[in-house]
Amino acid sequence: MTDLFRYVPGNSVIHRLNPVTRLLVTIAVCVAAFVSGNLYYLAGLLAVDLLIGFIAGIPGKTLTIFKGLLKIALFLFVLQILLVRRGTPVLWIITDEGLLTAAKVVLRLVIVCMPLALILSVTKVSDLTNSLVQVLHVPYQYAFTLSTAIRFIPQFLEEMSMIMEAQTARGVAFDKARGLKKFSMILPLCAPLLISSLRRTDQTAAAAAVRGFSLRTRRSGYKQYPFTLLDLAAALCSALLIAGAILL
Amino acid sequence: MIEVKDLTFTYKDEKKPALQNISLTVPDGGFLGVIGPAGAGKTTLIRAVSGMIPHLFPGDFYGSVSVNGLDTFETSLPEISRLVGTVFQDVDSQIISPMVEDELLYGLENFGIPREEIPVRMEEALRKVGIADLRDRTIGSLSGGQRQKVAIASIVALRPQVLLLDEPTGELDPQSSRQVFSLLKELNEEQGTTVIVIEQKIMLLCEFSAQLAVLNQGRIAWQGDTRSVLLHAEELLALGVNCPRVTTLSRILSARLGEEQPVCTRPEEAEAMIRRLIR
Ligand SMILES: Nc1ncnc2c1ncn2[C@@H]1O[C@H](COP(=O)(O)OP(=O)(O)OP(=O)(O)O)[C@@H](O)[C@H]1O
Ligand SMILES: [Mg+2]
Repeated sequence: MTDLFRYVPGNSVIHRLNPVTRLLVTIAVCVAAFVSGNLYYLAGLLAVDLLIGFIAGIPGKTLTIFKGLLKIALFLFVLQILLVRRGTPVLWIITDEGLLTAAKVVLRLVIVCMPLALILSVTKVSDLTNSLVQVLHVPYQYAFTLSTAIRFIPQFLEEMSMIMEAQTARGVAFDKARGLKKFSMILPLCAPLLISSLRRTDQTAAAAAVRGFSLRTRRSGYKQYPFTLLDLAAALCSALLIAGAILL
Repeated sequence: MIEVKDLTFTYKDEKKPALQNISLTVPDGGFLGVIGPAGAGKTTLIRAVSGMIPHLFPGDFYGSVSVNGLDTFETSLPEISRLVGTVFQDVDSQIISPMVEDELLYGLENFGIPREEIPVRMEEALRKVGIADLRDRTIGSLSGGQRQKVAIASIVALRPQVLLLDEPTGELDPQSSRQVFSLLKELNEEQGTTVIVIEQKIMLLCEFSAQLAVLNQGRIAWQGDTRSVLLHAEELLALGVNCPRVTTLSRILSARLGEEQPVCTRPEEAEAMIRRLIR
């Protein structure tokens, strides 16, 4: 789980894009997926997703994410074809329109989720937040919140598993429980965890304050995020994707 | 110079003061070690010197604290922070960024250190703390000791005139602990950095700090130059503060021989003393 979002260093075209451009491409793919009603075009967008992963130099991870999404997609697909009542029946209660809608919904889901996961794994959080502040003038407070939240996810999971281990040692059988049962066993542990992380948040705020949090401005960042021709090309591709979705 | 005058501080909603009538002075370029049992108020003292008290921790504040002539009550926190660097006791809450490099950049960027100087300072801090190889790692992938070093490096990079450290060796092995103290000594001697360090390993304090303050229940039990404080070994022990064996040795010898021997803080000194006595 944590491994899925771990940053993969590299020097691919995607790595060299401005983080803001990467976000733009992601959004363009999403918009195109929702605008287009053409099944072939959607399939094409899916291919674009996979292509992004391969260009970024993380084919293995791309396929892992893809397979994971396919499982969810399959479930949704079945649900959809059983639910849609319009159109002419093809087989049992399945209609042609049901099949079509289901295919579109599922494709859209996969298309939208993939680039976000891919881009996050080739972009450092700090680069993303810094460039949002520098280029898009997002207030620093929001960027700070985002990056600290991401900073504390691994720690939160670590503490969670520590508490669970401690409980297991006391005879609580987490491993035997599944589904809702397991959830109801974990839930009571969340309270102490939340309290300890709230206390920590205070400390972290203090740590930021004594290192000049309030002095920071949009121009404080050491790393610069200039736009290059590469970004222009990516922006053009994004525009084409959306234009294609509208026209086809 | 750091001057704490008759400081009494009670955290908001608490009845008992965490610090009571604290007075102490650390000269420019001084090196003060602070020791004492849990809950003695050591962290609170550091918070008062760094300006976090009263700026971030509300409560009743009597007396005064001044750092290099600035009264912490009247000076804004960012202004004090330009002079004072603080390494927190809880390393994990001190580290803000998801990556090591960004953690070092954070303070440097905020305080507006000139662009061309930033890489120099970063490399220097990483090298001095001995973690140059960790630069591109994520914080989540580091051990506790490595994280502690990152926290120290991120403050050292700021080159503060006053350096406050709250149990900086808590997660470190003996060798790394010594390394940290050697670094403090280097900064103290070469750059004139004033150092206040809370430390439970008395051996390290004896060897490196010029002054020692023993806190107990919010009050200063003893303070002064390290050797004179160590004369109170038995009373210190009652507070749970162990003296190094060499110090105990010189004390026992003084008592047995009926003549005052100098207090030893290092094995070499004890060796010299014994040689002298045998002769
Ligand atoms: N944020 C706070 N709010 C209220 N009370 C606090 C706060 N921080 C500390 N205290 C109280 O102040 C007293 C001194 O605490 P402090 O943390 O300074 O002790 P310490 O000497 O650093 O202990 P330790 O060795 O455990 O770190 C304790 O009684 C503690 O409960
Ligand atoms: Mg403490």
